[in-house]
Amino acid sequence: MSHQHILNSIEEASRVIGKTWPLYSFVTSNPLSGYEKTSFSKAVNSAKELLNARIFPEASIYRQAWEDGEINEKELLTLLRENGLDQSPDFYLRKMESQKRTEEKNPNHELDRIMAKWLAAFMDEGLAEWEMPGKKEGFYKAWRKLAKYDSELSIAQGIDVPKSPSEALLQILSGYSENEYTKILTYHLAALPGWTGYINYRVESNSAWQQKYPISLEDYLAVRLWIASHLKAHILPQSKNSDIDPTITNLQYIWLKAWEKSWQNQLVKTLKGESITTEPTKGTDPDPEAQMVFCIDTRSELIRRHVESKGNYETYGYAGFFGIAMDYNNLNDGLSRKSCPPILDSSYQVSEIPQTNKEGQLAAYERKNDNFRFIEYFLRRMKNMLPSAFGYVEGSGFYYGLSLLGRTLLPGFFYRFKAKRSTPHETVCEPKIERKNVEHDMSLSIPLEDKVAIVKSAFDLMGWKHFAPVVLFVGHGSHSANNPFGSSLDCGACAASPGRHNARMLAKLANIPTVRKTLADKYQINIPEETIFIGAEHNTTTDEIVIFDSEVPNSTREKLVQIKSDLLRAQQTATQDRLGISKDSIAVAQQKANDWGETRPEWGLAKNAGFIIAPRTLTKNYNLESRCFLHSYDWELDRTGKALEGIMQGPMVVTQWINNHYYFSTVDNDTFGGGSKITHNITGKFGVVQGNGGDLKMGLPLQSLQQSDHEPYHQPLRLSVLIKAPETMVNDILSRNENLKTLLDNEWIYLMVMDPLQDNEIKRYQKDMVWTPAMETSKNNDLLEKLMQPVEVDELSEVSI
Amino acid sequence: MNSETKIQENASQNSKNTGSGPSSSASVKMIAPILWLLFTVNLAYLLYFFPNVPEWHLGNIVRVNGFTLLIWTTVTFFSALVSSYAGNYLHGFRFHARFMKLCLGFTLSVMTFVVSENIFLLLFSWMVMGFIMSRLIGIDSEWAEAREASKYTQRYFLSGTLFLSLGVLILAFTSGTYSVDVMITLIQDLPQTTVLIAALCIIVAAIIQSAIYPFHRWLLSAMTAPTPASALMHAGFVNGAGILLALFASIFFASNTLNFLLIIGGLTAIVAQFTKLLQVNVKQRLACSTIAQMGFMIMQCGLGFFNAAVVHLILHGFYKAYLFLASGEEIALSKPQEPLKIRIKPLQALVVFFFGVLGAIFFAFLTGKGTELDSGIFLTLIVAITVGQATYNIVKERSLSISQKIILPMALFIAGIGIYALLYNGVTVLMKDMPMIAVPLPLSTVQIVFGVVFLIGFFIMKLGGYKSLPWLYVRLLNLSQPNKKSILMYKSKSL
Ligand SMILES: [Zn+2]
Repeated sequence: MSHQHILNSIEEASRVIGKTWPLYSFVTSNPLSGYEKTSFSKAVNSAKELLNARIFPEASIYRQAWEDGEINEKELLTLLRENGLDQSPDFYLRKMESQKRTEEKNPNHELDRIMAKWLAAFMDEGLAEWEMPGKKEGFYKAWRKLAKYDSELSIAQGIDVPKSPSEALLQILSGYSENEYTKILTYHLAALPGWTGYINYRVESNSAWQQKYPISLEDYLAVRLWIASHLKAHILPQSKNSDIDPTITNLQYIWLKAWEKSWQNQLVKTLKGESITTEPTKGTDPDPEAQMVFCIDTRSELIRRHVESKGNYETYGYAGFFGIAMDYNNLNDGLSRKSCPPILDSSYQVSEIPQTNKEGQLAAYERKNDNFRFIEYFLRRMKNMLPSAFGYVEGSGFYYGLSLLGRTLLPGFFYRFKAKRSTPHETVCEPKIERKNVEHDMSLSIPLEDKVAIVKSAFDLMGWKHFAPVVLFVGHGSHSANNPFGSSLDCGACAASPGRHNARMLAKLANIPTVRKTLADKYQINIPEETIFIGAEHNTTTDEIVIFDSEVPNSTREKLVQIKSDLLRAQQTATQDRLGISKDSIAVAQQKANDWGETRPEWGLAKNAGFIIAPRTLTKNYNLESRCFLHSYDWELDRTGKALEGIMQGPMVVTQWINNHYYFSTVDNDTFGGGSKITHNITGKFGVVQGNGGDLKMGLPLQSLQQSDHEPYHQPLRLSVLIKAPETMVNDILSRNENLKTLLDNEWIYLMVMDPLQDNEIKRYQKDMVWTPAMETSKNNDLLEKLMQPVEVDELSEVSI
Repeated sequence: MNSETKIQENASQNSKNTGSGPSSSASVKMIAPILWLLFTVNLAYLLYFFPNVPEWHLGNIVRVNGFTLLIWTTVTFFSALVSSYAGNYLHGFRFHARFMKLCLGFTLSVMTFVVSENIFLLLFSWMVMGFIMSRLIGIDSEWAEAREASKYTQRYFLSGTLFLSLGVLILAFTSGTYSVDVMITLIQDLPQTTVLIAALCIIVAAIIQSAIYPFHRWLLSAMTAPTPASALMHAGFVNGAGILLALFASIFFASNTLNFLLIIGGLTAIVAQFTKLLQVNVKQRLACSTIAQMGFMIMQCGLGFFNAAVVHLILHGFYKAYLFLASGEEIALSKPQEPLKIRIKPLQALVVFFFGVLGAIFFAFLTGKGTELDSGIFLTLIVAITVGQATYNIVKERSLSISQKIILPMALFIAGIGIYALLYNGVTVLMKDMPMIAVPLPLSTVQIVFGVVFLIGFFIMKLGGYKSLPWLYVRLLNLSQPNKKSILMYKSKSL
């Protein structure tokens, strides 16, 4: 037995836990990402076993979908019959409903509780003024020094806690056989999946907190197993008496598949009708007045529809980080945040510099910032110190009373008041791009080729040839008050930051004359001289689009007048559509954005189910109800498939993360999600626990997924990707990218192609590069794999309902 | 090992009862307007008659005076506000309607409590108050830990009621009256030991309610309540002790128990303030702050200033309700920072001292506290130190200009002390019919010793020496852990 062997076992065991992202950059990732190499059904079964989690939608969600006609009866019956289930759908629905969740005592209650106490104390990111002593030495050593004072452990004199984590692990595990290691370690990692997921995150991101206060899974396991053996808690998992009817799980999977298939059929029908009748005659208008690029985000679908209907505007969909793999240095707090998909390494650093002749204004802006920071510090000192805490409350209490009234009764008014008076830094600053991680002999500035490449790849991926006089790159951000999950509503492609800085950066690069000249000379991308690119932001809570136009020439400014008034009208109809009200919809949206008691300021990406990679003409005349990610793409400009490959490697994987996150947070909100917001308790400035404490919550809260405790909003369906490109091209890409093929073969997502070479026929990817016509009802018997066990009819009829 | 609970069944039945039927949605819609109406009427009445609110009796059952109206206005303000907030916040919560009803019930119970002259009405409403609060803590009855927390807090509140009943009944039987007001006038004639026992019982009831050490743990276990319920708890429930002590003020003079209040309140204030510094959860941190503030309030009572305690409980209510309702704002990316050590220059020290003294004079001038050598001096001293601390932080801030450094402290202490004095004097006028609510005590050794202890606490905190005491950290950490059963006690079994 060796230390290395234990480390290997930890490595293996750690696959079962996902990554808990901090709420200040809430990346919606797949909680079961460690399992993506295995099939979906196997993965969910393991998760169910280990985490006691629900893995399929609850019966009530199926019932609602069934009653709303979302699940096609024919599809469902076919699947049921294929699996030897001959009763009516209603019978099976009631059978699923007969299963209730039960509570049982946590066998390792004391152990879990003590661990949660120490983990929260150690991993705090500055919420406590008095930090855990000895934190700099790492979790194990810091804990070891304090353990002897912990009356909850009552460590008697003379008992020696091992000096290092490896010693502790060796000592405890020596009582077990080596083949039990992984089982033991898995069991203890899965006991507090939220906290261990956050250790995972810290180790991988190597954040400033991790660098200063290191913690590892080995530390965690050493502390935990030592306490477990000290308290005589269970070290080996208890064998479970499985009293759950396995047929229920099978039924749930069948219903899910039927639902997904029904949704795909609906999408195919819609797009099929469209592509036959309108292409290519009803293409884009020849000379749009402006073009706007939005994120692929499902919320963009709604605003694009409304913008397009207000004038001669053309819209595009592109990943919201606008192709710039960057970190952004925030002027307000001086901290740098990732602003591109988490799967990409950032190669650039973007920061703000004053616009020409605006140094003075920037200095004033920064002074104001300093003052705000001082006020914050001042208030914290006054509240924390003795005896000012008491004097402070008496002197300021009355003013808190006034704020209580204002914030509760007039949130909309204060939103408009603040919006009118604030001058965002975008009016005095421009973004500046530099290289990140440079060797010291290299210069920070980036070469022209890099700039050209960034701009070119945007046009390549979107399949974009003709340019309007005004082009807006519209990033998106969400604005809500008192919302710990605020960043979950920002741009997923920007690692949960707002996308406007990337949009402004791309606009600036595309406006550089030398960049344009190279594009024209080298790549025949001819941008008219009059064309100007401008950054903007789509506020997804209010559907307002703010244009950062402080630097545009006057000639363009005149054109912007009309565009702005059209965007205002688009805001009006978009909010009406989204909120389902006809009067004062903007005011209501503004109120939602600033109401501190609002737990559902907007719906984020809820209801996402599809990802369409195709020219806008394919979808333009349809209301897709904000359920689809839309990426612009034109296969005819991409004969090599390079652009498509990029889209499939990048955006498609990100949308899969988002979709899987929504799926799991919905099917078991307590385990994979955040639980209800109304009893959340923020811990350590980065996360929430429920009520008095316990495990760190790892996913989206109930209020982002359900209309009420009883009514679902998000429909947990796996993502269906539809690409308009020749089947052969997609096959080529899949054969080059084993990881993409694995995702599909393991059914984490679905893929369909609309093949322009075969009369726009839509086909579904099955497995191992086999494609079948999309509208054919499934006949594939191994669809449900080994999860399915033969169902005995006798057993079914015995179920009392 | 696997003892399954049957409560699940009950819970799902409950959810059916309080589902979104027509009657429950009516209560969701109607209760907030009713509470706002109550608040407006109370406030209008109060302002109309101010400063001479007529005293009004109904037999010896209820009594309405300036103090009653003051508390009525305050509690209706908090519950109206919380119910408006909850209208959105709890939207879709399966127990939303139940929450609204409990909110209304709680308001009525507090209103009944302050209006009660009859002791049975008084005791009954005290009990109902606690009962409703524990129901709010466990409102999500489908959540096992919340049920545990509810049971746990209920035990505290019942014990509180028991002690209060004991104390009041002893007084009633020895004085032969069921009227609180009459009873108090007879205190002087009762045997000393009886009064002492009664006073101690009432004090125990009060410090249970205010989560004063060693009864603090219920408040740290109450986060299973939805956020608006916590706001109501910290603004309108824990401070019930201040009201109770003010109503019975004479007894503590008669029984000589003021020093006891001073010590237990003051120690709690210091310990809880230190404990607050190490909290890593927002709501637990707020709870520690509340405990400290309640300690301070009890301390004010111990110094003979029951009116100051009442002002404090109202202002603290505003402060804490705000912080709870905004408790979702604490998520932020940050980086580890070493605490700045900035030495203060002699000139700056002089400015700090000057403003501290100026603040104290201003405070003494406006409130009359500290003008003579009595217990009021302590309260003035705290004001002086607070002003000094504020000035200290301002003068050593680099981003401020010289003129800002002069004007800012002035503006702050005029705004802060001015508004405080205004409220203090207003409340004192409203409480003028109540006996013994503002009686400065002659300086005593106990007070002075305690004042020194308080100053030592201030200096330890200021110099930061406590940070190098690991045992103290663990001690306070464990002291502030919630009830064990209310964390991770249960697991759900999957399907
Ligand atoms: Zn986005």
